[in-house]
Amino acid sequence: MKIIGACFILLTTTYLGFEAARMLSERTRQLRLLKSALQSLEAEIMYGHAPLHEASRRIAKQIDKPVGMIFETFADKLVIQLTSAKEAWEESLTEVWKQTALKKGELEILLQFGETLGKHDLIQQQKHIQLALTHLDREEMEAKERQVVYGKIYKNFGFLAGLLVVILLI
Amino acid sequence: MNLKGGIKMQTILSLFSSAIQEQLTKLPKQNFELMEEIRIRMNRPIEVTAMGNIVYLPYIIRESDCEQIINKISQNSFYMLDEELRRGYITISGGHRIGLAGKVILEDGKVKGIRHISSFNIRIAKEQIGIAERWIPYLYHSEWKHTMIVGPPQTGKTTLLRDIARIISSGYKPLSIHPLKVGIVDERSEIAGCVNGVPQLTFGLRIDVLDGCPKAEGMMMMIRSMSPDVLVVDEIGRKEDTEAILEAVNAGIRLVMTTHGESYDDLLKRPTLRPILEQKVFDRFFILSRNKGPGTIVGIKDKDGKEMVRKVSVTS
Repeated sequence: MKIIGACFILLTTTYLGFEAARMLSERTRQLRLLKSALQSLEAEIMYGHAPLHEASRRIAKQIDKPVGMIFETFADKLVIQLTSAKEAWEESLTEVWKQTALKKGELEILLQFGETLGKHDLIQQQKHIQLALTHLDREEMEAKERQVVYGKIYKNFGFLAGLLVVILLI
Repeated sequence: MNLKGGIKMQTILSLFSSAIQEQLTKLPKQNFELMEEIRIRMNRPIEVTAMGNIVYLPYIIRESDCEQIINKISQNSFYMLDEELRRGYITISGGHRIGLAGKVILEDGKVKGIRHISSFNIRIAKEQIGIAERWIPYLYHSEWKHTMIVGPPQTGKTTLLRDIARIISSGYKPLSIHPLKVGIVDERSEIAGCVNGVPQLTFGLRIDVLDGCPKAEGMMMMIRSMSPDVLVVDEIGRKEDTEAILEAVNAGIRLVMTTHGESYDDLLKRPTLRPILEQKVFDRFFILSRNKGPGTIVGIKDKDGKEMVRKVSVTS
């Protein structure tokens, strides 16, 4: 009986450790997706001459959830609402954000980027996309470092913490 | 006004913020339907022109109202308007044109575009389907005649030209005239009112439009690639236009075009048009005036400048 309980504890804590590590790698993955989404947006605007809602709709199809979801919601809101692109962008960010593994730093960058959406001419708009991309690059670097440093620790820590509890209880 | 008018007004109303919409719908029905222009200026009241009368609406335009219009016409994507801002106007669906003014941005001394747009002039496209039908006997005699429509600004030249293009491209059953291929070179998007290259106004089946294309170049492009039977061009008058016209005539293409001027004698004084007149390219000259309202034809002359009819008739 004791052994079964101990196994359960070990399994749970190990799982938690792996989950925490997965969140770290998920963040880097989503940051990468976000960057390619913005790059597609730039291409759609610069070369495709597509209006924002069309461009977003196309990006939503290319990019995996949940990052694609941001663009899908954005496109929907743009078509329906009478508000500006900035508000539609902010609302879709807050709606989808909980489903992502992204952090506050990225949110700030995206909100700032939203301020410029659809308000500038081609060249300016491109510059703003580039700026957001540079900021996201920095976040991605940081996320990667965290993943390398903490990823393994979390995994080991989960198992070891479980082991500690088991020993204490025995 | 019929249902079509109702739809037309809706496309215009949807441009504005709810405050402006409310003001416009409060207008007396008659004024509303006969609206020619709506002018929106920042920090100033709305101005509406209907049948030459000016009405000011008691609402002061705010910055957010202007932003709303821009968002709407650009579909929330300002960068889409680069080309339009360079030209200073935008054509929206329904063929209506919106003129713009504000801070102009230069690049290498050339106009790059307008930023901080503070004035909008919404010119409502007026289609007068059928106004040219009574003139067909003068325009057509076993074949369409080379026709030049002459008149000062705002006399309804383009409206008449548009209806002629409609008749030629759809044919005219009562006189058993078959539809012909019509090529329109529409430099200022006024004849066909194109949005994304698709004409918004009423034409027959056999219509091809080069939208936003310089006239002389566009005429040559049409001749080379689209083999039109009739070329329709607005406001000719520059030197290179003349060359293109002579080229088209030699290619056996019929021409229908408009030009600025008060009378036939005025045309003779213009050095760029003289070669065409001297070669007697055009068979018919329609002289328009605004004396009795836009669209008044005060005379039709033949290729020698001889009067064919001289009667004042209001066509609108």
